[in-house]
Amino acid sequence: MAKVPLLKDVLKLIFSKPATIQYPREETPVEPDARGRQYADLSKCIGCSLCMIECPPKAIRMEKIPEGYEVPKRNARKIYPVVDYFKCIYCYRCVTVCPTKAYVVTNEYRLASDAPVNSRELSLSTLKKASQEPSQGEGEG
Amino acid sequence: MTEEVSKADKVVEIPMTVEIPVGPQHPAVHEPILIKVYAEGEYVVKAEAYTGYNHRGVEKLAEKKTFYQDIFLCGRVCGICNTVHADCYVRALEHILNKEPPPRAKYLRTLAMELERLHSHMLILAVTAEIVGFDTLFMHMMRDRELIMKAKEIVTGNRVLADYIMVGGVRRDLNSEKIDKLKKILTKVEPRIRYYWRVFEEDVTLNKRLVEVGRLTPAQVTSHGLLGPVARASGVATDSRYHDAYDAYAEVPFRIVTRKEGDCMARSLVRFEEMQVSLEICRYILNHLPEGEAVPDERRLPRRFPEGEAFTTVEAPRGELTYYVMSKGGVNPYRVKIRTPSYNNIINTVPFYVGHMIADVPAILASYDPCISCMERVVVIDLRKGIRKKVSMRDLAKGEA
Repeated sequence: MAKVPLLKDVLKLIFSKPATIQYPREETPVEPDARGRQYADLSKCIGCSLCMIECPPKAIRMEKIPEGYEVPKRNARKIYPVVDYFKCIYCYRCVTVCPTKAYVVTNEYRLASDAPVNSRELSLSTLKKASQEPSQGEGEG
Repeated sequence: MTEEVSKADKVVEIPMTVEIPVGPQHPAVHEPILIKVYAEGEYVVKAEAYTGYNHRGVEKLAEKKTFYQDIFLCGRVCGICNTVHADCYVRALEHILNKEPPPRAKYLRTLAMELERLHSHMLILAVTAEIVGFDTLFMHMMRDRELIMKAKEIVTGNRVLADYIMVGGVRRDLNSEKIDKLKKILTKVEPRIRYYWRVFEEDVTLNKRLVEVGRLTPAQVTSHGLLGPVARASGVATDSRYHDAYDAYAEVPFRIVTRKEGDCMARSLVRFEEMQVSLEICRYILNHLPEGEAVPDERRLPRRFPEGEAFTTVEAPRGELTYYVMSKGGVNPYRVKIRTPSYNNIINTVPFYVGHMIADVPAILASYDPCISCMERVVVIDLRKGIRKKVSMRDLAKGEA
């Protein structure tokens, strides 16, 4: 039985760079369109809750947009989706069912944290902060 | 000394049957199944399988969720073969809706499933190498498997859980740039697979541990309903890709790989050859991808389903996977029945452990404390009369021997 030249392969690997990626210190290469963290762009969101209804693991909750933001008129109920990234399975069903294509997709995969991680701040950062007077006027309207 | 011996009138000979639980923690593969092996000395005299450690109630949960949410749920029945599960379920939904996906989508589905077969076979072959004590080969194969995971990431957007298949097509398309990347990966992977194939064929350790071990005859395979590479390694040419010709398999040229030996080595080599066939299928698809739309607009898909039922099969990497989906109208399925090939293959091969050595039971025993639970019977030899009789341990304790 002929012996396979495994030794050659082993020697080659001893002197080559390790295949293992030292993860926290070194970034894992991911594709630019890999499914990572997604959040709603509130300038497009109309608050229809379809993403919440369709979400397979029920990771999305609709919340009231807090005071002090300029909310587009299309979003009459003034609600927006908050994705709980610990529950999310990154299937992008919310992205594909959204009637206004409001979801912003990224390939960010580093989401480990002690504290709960959700899309609240990211989504709210897409809205302009309103100056005091117009926000009051909008609230009355 | 001699006086003492002459005083004795009985010799108690105890043939011990040792009950060894293989699993449920990591019995060879990362699946929680318990195989209770009864061994006399080094040889297995009886084996029993206990399942149910990983029961998650997926079928019941599928009835509670909508048809579309179930696509992602079915993808999570098994991590390794998630695309085939999703494909099988989605094809059942398409039957109920009477909808046909476009040809490009069919090709892309086939591509994703073949990439899955490649990495699944590579994983199980690497684990086989690890079990027989060839850890270096395991590491090498897992390193090269990463290339295929990358290919899957390029196609589907995630390296493991694809979530790629949707009613009426797939969820993302390929462009020429991605096709070039995939072709490069395939040319990189092919010589590696051929190399490992040669290692399996020629290496002394692997040959000693795998050849003539766990032999199954074609009669045993058919009578016990075994599926997939297990059946094909015993010369039973069963392959639902060929019989059913679902998705693009009717148009893509491929062959059913069979071997006659039926032992562990034959099963490994069948997987290697199937990987070769899969590579050919992938290359054919990348070269002959039909033009047209592949991605349906998920916002326009019907939310409510008509009444109907569908029974679909897919050739998963481990064998024939079947789904039965029943709809009574509305948004939820009335029943989703899943039959996976692993369950058939694992439960029904249990009698065939008998006669093999413990080390040949495809499992790592070293990390477990063997539990000597019982010594079933003893033999009492009456030296004066020369009679051997068997009594139970309980009777011996009562002094009735």
